[in-house]
Amino acid sequence: MKTAIDGKIIASTFMISLILAFLVLNGMVSDWGRLTGGFGNLKNFFYQSLWPPDWSVLEPQVYPVCTARYPFEFTCSTAWIGVIETIKIAFVATVFGMALSLPLSLAAARNLSPRWLSYSSRFILSAFRSLPSLIWAIFFVILIGMGPLSGVLAMTVYTVGYLGKLWYEAMEGLNKTPLEAAQAMGLNKYETALNVVVPESANDLISHSIFLFEYNFRSGTIIGIVGAGGIGYYIDLYLRFLQYDKVVAYLLIIFLVVLIIDFLSIYARSFFNEEDDLRIPSWSEVFLGIFSSANEADDLSDR
Amino acid sequence: MQTDADLNEPLLILRDVAIGYHPSDSLVNIPNLEVFPGEIVAIAGPSGIGKSTLLRTIAGLVSPITGRLEVCGAIMPEKPPRGHLGYIPQKLGLVRHASVKHNVELGARAGIKSRKLRQQRSIEAIDIMGLSEKSAEPIRRLSGGQQRRVATARTLAQRPKLILADEFLSELDEETLTSVLEAVTDYVRESKAALIVVEHDISRAKMMADKLLVIDDGRINPFVKGTKAMEVNM
Repeated sequence: MKTAIDGKIIASTFMISLILAFLVLNGMVSDWGRLTGGFGNLKNFFYQSLWPPDWSVLEPQVYPVCTARYPFEFTCSTAWIGVIETIKIAFVATVFGMALSLPLSLAAARNLSPRWLSYSSRFILSAFRSLPSLIWAIFFVILIGMGPLSGVLAMTVYTVGYLGKLWYEAMEGLNKTPLEAAQAMGLNKYETALNVVVPESANDLISHSIFLFEYNFRSGTIIGIVGAGGIGYYIDLYLRFLQYDKVVAYLLIIFLVVLIIDFLSIYARSFFNEEDDLRIPSWSEVFLGIFSSANEADDLSDR
Repeated sequence: MQTDADLNEPLLILRDVAIGYHPSDSLVNIPNLEVFPGEIVAIAGPSGIGKSTLLRTIAGLVSPITGRLEVCGAIMPEKPPRGHLGYIPQKLGLVRHASVKHNVELGARAGIKSRKLRQQRSIEAIDIMGLSEKSAEPIRRLSGGQQRRVATARTLAQRPKLILADEFLSELDEETLTSVLEAVTDYVRESKAALIVVEHDISRAKMMADKLLVIDDGRINPFVKGTKAMEVNM
């Protein structure tokens, strides 16, 4: 930062941006009255088509015949099968994405690589990131057909683009003294990357990876709609048949799973914090935290 | 293995070197400086005068503005042979999230090829610095003084020919300071290495060094131990 910035400048800049945003929006919207009608439509749609959810999606499918015993019959349901497949796709894509992101982010970090390598690596990462995972999913479905493999490839490509950027930014933010010490001692780039850069930025690398797993699960619900596997396939199916009460049941299940993954990720990330005096939440706190106040959740995620 | 001929060859030669971060604004000018094996050289002077920049230049992290700089037989911009140069920066340059052992082995990795020998030297260096019980601790949990000892252990495990140390004795209590200094000077004398240390405490600099370089107004004034000039002027 070349000049010091005080609170007044930040506040006035924010206010000007806000006014400008409203003016731009006003220029684009011709009839503000539609907003009130929209709420009425939503209310009708909600009570006539969405609520109550149809929980039959948790019942075993007729075919193939369910071999699970009570109380585990739900594992034969489309909801369970879809969620598990989405989690599997997200996990595989995240791990593959991590493996490919590491060399690319090391190459893209300007404090570790020559300019030509840094810029060309950033170009690749930007290209991967420029398309959302849904578009990548359509691309792979066209290329190799429907199914989870298309989903895995689509999300891997997007993960590399996103994670690679987060990682090289974390690496560029490293204190330069350990790198200089390694350089002065005569360690080569590979040794420096493996023994200095990776351990020094491990907190950020792990934290970003867990975040990407969460993200991949959420986007995994969408890419199923284009035939790339996961729970999205079933959502798309019932949307086509206008069975919105079943769609709502799936969305609530996804919401619950996202909450659980979110809190598990908070737990996992608490092991990789910078500060030592922070308290690692217990498992019971993590699960009970789902029902606790939003403030506590914010507090945890700040760690 | 160093031969007698090697022992007469300076490990560091500076000829008409000007250092600084901008070509038009040199911080220090050094007409001639040679550092021989077994020698301990202290650099002193007020803060902000260019002591650390001089060390960073010798370490190859900053290019000299002009002049000829030869480190361990390599003329800059050529790099000295791997592991020949040990460097303890003022901010230590430790991997904060890694253990004491990992950091010390990093130095050994630069200087020693054999993995077994690396581990052995690292354990020895950690032991000499009195950090055996902290071996598995991450650096960020150690005190400032303990971190300085880790950085020193890293250099001892490396076994370099030329050690560059920037205020490596600060934050140490008197007893620890004596033992750390003794370990480093013993290594320098026995291995016929050389130590160049930046030290703000002038009396300590005089006590440890064979040659004292005082930077003043962009010039280096050398004083040699035992000479009248060192006793009178300091």
